[in-house]
Order: sequence, then C-alpha cells, then structure tokens
Amino acid sequence: MNNKKTNFFAWFFHETRRIIYIMLDEFRLVFRDSGLVVVFLGATALYPLLYSSIYRNETVREMPIAVVDQSNTSRSRDLVQRIDATPDLSVAYRLNNLEEAKDPFHRQKIHGVIFIPKEYSEKINRNEQATVSIYSDMSSFLYYRAMMLGANFAILQVGKDIKTERLNASGITGQSAELTAAPFDHEGNILYNEGMGFASFLLPALLILMIHQTLFFGITMIAGTAREEQRIHEDFSVHHRGRFFQTLVGKSWCYFGLYMVVTAYILLLIPRLFQLPHIGNPMDIMRFMIPFLFSVIFFSMTISVFIRNRETGLVVFLFFSVILLFMSGFSWPQSNIHWFWRTFGTLFPATFGIQGYIKINSMGADLNHVQFEYVALWIQAAVYFITTMVVYRMAENKNPAEKRIQLGE
Amino acid sequence: MSIIQQTINVARREIHRMLSRPIYLFSSVFVMFFCYIFFLTFFAQGLPEQLPMGIVDNDNSYVSRTLARNIDAMAQVEIVKQYSTFSEAREDMQRGKIYAIIDVAPNFEAVLLASRQPKIMYYVNDAYLIAGSLSYKDLTYISELGTAYVQQRLLQARGIVGDENLMPILQPVAIDTHLIANPYANYGIYLLNVLLPGVLQLMIIMLTVFSIGAELKEKTTAEWLGAGNQSVLAALTGKMLPYTVLFVLLGIGGNLILYRYMHYPMNGSLAWMSLATIIYVLAYQAIGIFIIGVFPRMRDAISLSAFYGLLAFTYAGFTFPIEAMPSGVQIFAELFPIRHYFKIYVNEALHNAPISYSLIYFAAMTAFLILPFLVYRRLRKQLDV
Repeated sequence: MNNKKTNFFAWFFHETRRIIYIMLDEFRLVFRDSGLVVVFLGATALYPLLYSSIYRNETVREMPIAVVDQSNTSRSRDLVQRIDATPDLSVAYRLNNLEEAKDPFHRQKIHGVIFIPKEYSEKINRNEQATVSIYSDMSSFLYYRAMMLGANFAILQVGKDIKTERLNASGITGQSAELTAAPFDHEGNILYNEGMGFASFLLPALLILMIHQTLFFGITMIAGTAREEQRIHEDFSVHHRGRFFQTLVGKSWCYFGLYMVVTAYILLLIPRLFQLPHIGNPMDIMRFMIPFLFSVIFFSMTISVFIRNRETGLVVFLFFSVILLFMSGFSWPQSNIHWFWRTFGTLFPATFGIQGYIKINSMGADLNHVQFEYVALWIQAAVYFITTMVVYRMAENKNPAEKRIQLGE
Repeated sequence: MSIIQQTINVARREIHRMLSRPIYLFSSVFVMFFCYIFFLTFFAQGLPEQLPMGIVDNDNSYVSRTLARNIDAMAQVEIVKQYSTFSEAREDMQRGKIYAIIDVAPNFEAVLLASRQPKIMYYVNDAYLIAGSLSYKDLTYISELGTAYVQQRLLQARGIVGDENLMPILQPVAIDTHLIANPYANYGIYLLNVLLPGVLQLMIIMLTVFSIGAELKEKTTAEWLGAGNQSVLAALTGKMLPYTVLFVLLGIGGNLILYRYMHYPMNGSLAWMSLATIIYVLAYQAIGIFIIGVFPRMRDAISLSAFYGLLAFTYAGFTFPIEAMPSGVQIFAELFPIRHYFKIYVNEALHNAPISYSLIYFAAMTAFLILPFLVYRRLRKQLDV
C-alpha cells in the first residue's frame, strides 16, 4: 500500500518534471525566433496602442454641412444658428439653392444639406406647420447619426418654442401650457457607453481579437516552421514519443504563461490608458481569460497540424479575423444573427471571449452573469485538447518517413 | 523569343504552380465565395428587427399596458420580459439578454391624470452601439408619439380639433428626411460595398507576396527566370498576369452580385465602378511586389502584408471617418488604395457625381503602379541567385 503510494508520487513527480521541461523547451523555441517574438510580444504591444490612438476621438463632431436658407428671415437664421451650435454639426456653407450644394457634396467636403424653404417663416407666422428638409450622406453610419442628432435636436428645440407661443395664443398659458406641451416627460439614458463612442464600442472586441489572432498565428507559425525544418513534433517523436498528453500540457503552459502577461497588459492596462470602458472587476476579467486562453491555444494547435509552411497560416486564415469579429455579435446584435452562423460561431473561442469580455469589462457584469460564456470556453478547451491529441496521433502515424529522419534511422 | 512569348511562358508556368497546391485557389476563389455568402446572409435583414427589451411596469395600469403594447407593435423592438424590479432587468442587460429597459414608475397613470407630468425612463445599452442606438431611436419615437397622443386629447378637450389645427401645435416644424441612396439606413449597404473589396485586397497582397516569396524561399528563381528567358520584366509580368485575371474576375463578379443581383444602390455607372476595381487589383498587386521587393525574406514580407492589409479596413474610412481621427494618423489614409476606391464608390454608387469629381481618386490609385519600378533593381538582384 505504502509502496504503491510512493510509486504514484514518484510517477507524478517524474511526469510533472517532464512537462516543465517541455514547457521550458517551448519558451526557448519562442524566444530564439525573432519572428515569433514579433507576433507574441511585438504585435500584442503595438496593435492595442495603434488602434486605440486611431479611434480615440470616439465620434464625429462638428461635421461640415451646407444650409440652403431660402426663407432668410430672423426665424430661419435662428434655426441655422442653433444647428451650427450643436456639437454634431458645423455649417460650412450657406448657399442659395440646392444646385449649389452639389459641388461641395460631390467633393465630399460636406456630408449633409439642410434646406429651409422660402415659405418657412410665413407658415409659422400663419400658424401652419412648416417643413425643413434634411439630406444626409449615407456613406458612413456616423455621418448619418451626426446629421440626425444635430438636425433633430435643433429643429425640435425651435418647434418647442413655437409650440409654447401657439398655446399661449390659444389662451393656454403658464403651467397649463407647459403641461399641454409635455403631458408626460420621457428621459432616455445611455448605459455602458455614455458618449455613444465608437472606440468604446469597437476596441473591447478588437482587443480580444488581437489576443485570439496573435496566439493563433503564432502557434501556426511554430507548427509550420517545425514542419519545414522536418522536426515535426520532435519533442514527442524523439524524446517523448507517444507522450502526447505531457507534450500538449507542457506547450500550452508556455503559451498560457506568456499570454497571461500579454492579456493583463491588453485588457487591464490599455483601457485605463485610453479611457476606454473599464468598469469590470480585474480579477473577474483574468479568471474569465483562463479558459479563453486555453481554448484558443488548443484550438490553434488542432488547426496547426494542417499547416505545412511557416507563412501559410497567415495567407490562408487572415481574412477570418473579419469574420470572427462580426460573428461575435458585438456589432450586428447576436439576437439577430442567423441561427446557422450563430451555431458556426460557437466553434470559435473568439465568439464567447468577445461577448464575455464586453459584458464584464464594459457592462460591469461579474462571473455569474457570464456563466454561459465561461462554461462554453471550458468545454471548448476540453474538446480542442482532445482533438489536438487525436490529430497529433494521426500526424505521427501518417508521417513515418519524417519520424525516421528524427530517429536517425 | 519576343517579350510577349516570354511572358506567356511564365504565365503558363504560374498557372501550373497555382493548380499544384490548394493554397492558391483557396486564398482567392474559396475565400471570396465564402465571404460573399457569409456577409450577404449575415446582413440579409438589412436592419436588425425585434431587438429584445424588458419592461419594469410598476404601475400596471391601462396607460402603461397600452404603452407596452404599442412598443411591442413596432417592427424593430420586442418586449421579451416583464421584470418586477429594475435591478433584475439590469442584470439581464448585463447578461446580454436585453438591449433596453423601459421603467414605468408606480402611479404613472394617476400622476398623469392628475396633470402632474409623470416621467417615463428608458435605458439602452450602448456597449452594443448598433442595438443600443436603434433601441434608443425607437423608444424616443414611441414616447414622442405617446406624448402627442395625450396632447391631442388635451387640446381636443379645449376645443382645438381637426388635423389642420392640431398638427401646427403638435409639431410646428416637420422634418422631411432624405437619406441619400440608402433610404432605410440598411446596414449591409453601409458595410459590404467596402468590406468585401477589403477582403479582396487582403487576398491580393497575401498571394502576390506568397507567390513571389515562395520562389525566393524555395530557391526556384532560376527556373522561373528561365521560363521568361532571363527577362525579369517578363518573369514578373507573367507571374502576376494569372492573378490579375483571377482577381479582376472575382472583383467584377462581386460588383455584379452587389449591384445587380442584390440591387444595392448604383446611381452612377457600373462601368466606372468596374474600371475602379481593375485599377484597384493592379494597385494592390503593385504593393505586394513592393513589399516582397523591400523584404525578400518571405516571413517578414507576409507579416508586414498582414499588418498593412488589416489596416485597410480602418483606413478606408467607411465605418469611422478619417476626419474624425487625430490629425497625426489621418495622413496615412492616402497610402491605402482602398481609401480612394471608397471615394469613387461614394461618388459613383451613392451620389451619382459627375466622373470629373472621381478622376483624382483614379489617378491616386494608378499612382501605386509606380511602386514595382522602385524595387525593380533590388528584386532583380534577388532573382539572380
């Protein structure tokens, strides 16, 4: 009994040591290869800084527009002034007719036109409903939004004043007029991204994608290089033949250790540096990232068996970064993604990683709230661990020639 | 042997190479087909419908139930759950189950009837900017509608009746909105006309660099040059030609899918747009040659191409306008042919601007064709191993 116990500990100690050796070997491999250092440490350091800088203004302000004021009265000039005063819009051109607006519009110097017709003031003075036309450039969602926010705000303000005048004129005054103008109030509140910012919305998803993709491409580069240099899975075909389990665990600990540091930098430091949303509990974020990193690592190791050259991973799979980003449901809402693509998305760690991180980091959810994503990532990690074992074994059986070279036969 | 014959020889050899490994057709034909199918089915709805939201109805009165029913009747939003407390609803928002919460205070109806101006609060989640913005718009609209309805009743009680008398008070200034070329603010139209050419440029650069880089790496340049009878010009042109044809076909085929089959707006001329696509393909091939010329080690060239190719999605300026970026990073936009392609697309497809406005962008894209000549000598030295 006692003997058996000692044996178990001896075995456990032995295997753990072996795993640590494999891990250290992998560290050596990564740090000796300048290309890998660039991907694992260079890209992960640079990308978040670059993209956070590019998007740091968050939104379009003072978007240039043209105003065609054919009414040209104090009332219409007041409206123009109010439009110009909004943070969204800036009146860059004052023109006489719509025809004149075409030139700056086609030069893309302005992104909208507001047309105040000749009879604007007359209609208001005659107690009729006046009309103002808005023409919006639709080439970008943010142009459209700036136009709608600015123009609607200014026109509604003007309308409110006129409404009070008219109520007064029909004998409804004071508090009674106020109540008639707004019998009940409504107030919209924007949560989790108060400034409706583009960076606050995009960057959290991008940051996760950066971790996912650098890890993925780094691991495919390692596998491709090993294949080119004919030392495919050298560690288990020579030193640790048949010991897939230890090899996988050892390698994954190397990537995991490296990426816990990278992750802390990208997910904890960058949002604070660039005033991106960061109301989540840092411990919850890091705990959530544990299954995420393991599932990305084993997912990448599974795929990397099919990579024959160092560079082919990037050539073949780079486009998929864009697919992963949209499939995560950060932009087009998850509730509206076609069931087929939603199911397809569950294959990739990025989908759950992006959702979970946005919820914890930007919306202050705790681990309980993201239980679904958290459990899904652990399941993925387990499944991809097994698939990696399977494909490694298949690769070994399929390449006896390569093995022979390794064994020096 | 004439230079044309030499070029044809190299092109013939390249076609054999393309068919010998799956990577070439995968990274062009398969990827583009996959992306077209993916994005067109992904954004098939145009605008997200039935966005899930929750209501905390502490009043549970006739008025509050009517409000809930009216919100539910809108196409874009749907009340999926009633919550008894706000914090329960907020937790579901944090779980991502709902994008908005409507909070009706207790006694809402009583306060309203007592003319003491009650308030409806709603909350939207803009961490999901698209879902949040759309919910916000719809909730504001329905609240305005509700206010207008009550106002109308109050005014009628005071003897102001008939639309011609009511409307000038309810809405003194009406807004007549024209959304140029995209009247329903279709999300697919915003994105796909640039996103899909974006994927195309990614594949063009990668394959250009890979096809030349593989020769350098595998040391097959002697054979490659041999096919062109030692003419570097023939070797390069012949090598690029099959990809030019392939990517132009994929690009123009994509235009036909978007503007003919899907009926995305094309207010200008599809011919100009297709010319833009041809120059676009050539410009990116030129950039690919330039990159591998400067960095003949394929691993460096591929990494750089990936970096540059992904930045194109940012520097096209179709999601986040270039003018809104800090001025220090704005200037780089000019270094991306996709930026000029986007401008041509806006002029042609959306604004139907006279072609004279787009000539400058055509010229800018064409200017990229100078790049291969800058690395010509360096590349020739590399090939002469």
